[in-house]
Amino acid sequence: MSSSTWAIETRGITRVFESRKGFLFREATRTEALRGIDLTVERGAIFGLLGPNGAGKTTLTKILSTLLLPTGGTARVLGHDVVREAGYLRPRMGLVLGGERGLYNRVSGRENLRYFADLYGIPLAERDRRISEVLARVDLEGAADRRVEEYSRGMKQKLHIARGILHRPEILFLDEPTIGLDPKSARETRKLVRSLLADGVTIFLTTHYMFEAEELCPELAILSKGRIVARDTVARLRQLVGGDRTLEAEAYGFEDREIDVLRHLPGVSKVLNEEFGPVSRLTIRVRTEETRPDALREILLPGHPEVAVRERRTSLEDVYLDLVEEEAR
Amino acid sequence: MAGAVVEYSRGRSTYASLRLSVLQFLADPQWLVPSMIAPVIFALVSFELFRGAGAYFLTYAILGAGMMSMWGQTLYGSGWATGQDREFGTLEPTVQSPTPYLYVILGRVLWNVVSGLFGGLIVYLVILGVAGGPPAVPDPLGFALLFVFVMVTLAAVGVIFAAFYVYTRYAGFIQNIGEFAFYIGTGCMFPVVLLPFYTNPISLFFPPTWGLDALRYLAIPGYQGFSWGFWGDLAGAIVTTAAYLGAAAALFRRVERHVLEEGSLAWY
Repeated sequence: MSSSTWAIETRGITRVFESRKGFLFREATRTEALRGIDLTVERGAIFGLLGPNGAGKTTLTKILSTLLLPTGGTARVLGHDVVREAGYLRPRMGLVLGGERGLYNRVSGRENLRYFADLYGIPLAERDRRISEVLARVDLEGAADRRVEEYSRGMKQKLHIARGILHRPEILFLDEPTIGLDPKSARETRKLVRSLLADGVTIFLTTHYMFEAEELCPELAILSKGRIVARDTVARLRQLVGGDRTLEAEAYGFEDREIDVLRHLPGVSKVLNEEFGPVSRLTIRVRTEETRPDALREILLPGHPEVAVRERRTSLEDVYLDLVEEEAR
Repeated sequence: MAGAVVEYSRGRSTYASLRLSVLQFLADPQWLVPSMIAPVIFALVSFELFRGAGAYFLTYAILGAGMMSMWGQTLYGSGWATGQDREFGTLEPTVQSPTPYLYVILGRVLWNVVSGLFGGLIVYLVILGVAGGPPAVPDPLGFALLFVFVMVTLAAVGVIFAAFYVYTRYAGFIQNIGEFAFYIGTGCMFPVVLLPFYTNPISLFFPPTWGLDALRYLAIPGYQGFSWGFWGDLAGAIVTTAAYLGAAAALFRRVERHVLEEGSLAWY
């Protein structure tokens, strides 16, 4: 694939934050937020970036959207360098950082949009119509002329999104777009994201909601401590962490001997023992159909008459936790 | 969905920023009051001190106090607005838009200078109530044109000053230090020649110093300001204002580069 077909292409992006604390005796601290990010995202696709707090998701989003300079490496968006060609890129990209901040609270939602429409140079003849269109699209028409300070968190988030798409960007960066939203608003936001994708907009989405990533993103990367620890489709990521199926067994404490036996069952790739007070939970990733819940019961029942065994599909959350914990080790 | 990309317009962006400033001001106009308190007090004290100095002293006091009010509003409004951009988190989306932040600042500064006129008007009304009307200005048209230009000189300082707020969240102390130093340094209330000699060159770095002196030459017959007279003042005001506005674009580019390197746009 030639480089022009990539919406995003990064090579070895690093970002170091240096800060100083103290008044008389200044103490310097150095934080490596990103440690060599190589990433490509196809045009017209939606790409998800998952990671725990502090993993570097927002830092990467800000670098790609020209709000932060990388310390090292190169990043190209729509085929243009984000540092040298920021002026070219800014009218072509939308950014939704979301949250309570980022809006002019004392004026109406419509006035917020009008201001940014002017800063983006949206033709005057189209401006008001386009504002009404995006307000309708995010379902804020009824509240458009109310002051933003009267908006709920969800309404503010919708206004952020409306501002991000007002100038019809080719690529949209959504940084945790549903964080803090009630389930209904979050669902509407995801619906909107899908409709933008259908319109041909490339979407770069960061989230730490697993179900959201699974629902929206055919392909995603997991970022941990400034590194991409995995990048693939959800199905392949499941295989990466040891299988599509997960068996769980709960009882009052398991012995090492029992765990060792489980590890050697056919198709078992991983056994994780966690303790929740007096209760222990074994999580077992299984690659094949050979090992069924009955096999587990057979092994565990003699020592644990109370054992409860269940089977479920390996979730993206399992994948995420496995990979992030592996990176932490 | 992606639409044809259009270029931003400097004039439209500046107007949009000015308009937003007006809307925000109307939502909360109380901030005009603090910028008027000091000028009104200074004007009344000066009037009482120099009551016998002649009819034109009223003009002098009104001009000085009016200028203080306009400067106060410019300083507070321009710097404060950028500080608020940090606090509200609107600095990031504004900087991320295609319009250079300089034009956003310019719109705000223009509004703040204009809103400072309200303060000047109130100073005028207070002195009018206390002391009666000042004598008529000999050349009203020239005075009006020069007055508008003096507003531009104030805006030029405001634009440069606002850059500090983009540069660092700690710019508030510069505002507090700068306010009274500027009143004194530009000769708003007291002639610059009364200040120690070594401070005079510093005063001349500020475009309003020249503009205000020119305004006084025009409004007060027999006024003795800088030795180079009205035309020298006017030339100095034009040159320093052009230098400030010329430096503004380069300054803002450097400031933007700095904050993007630091990653400090979201700090507040």
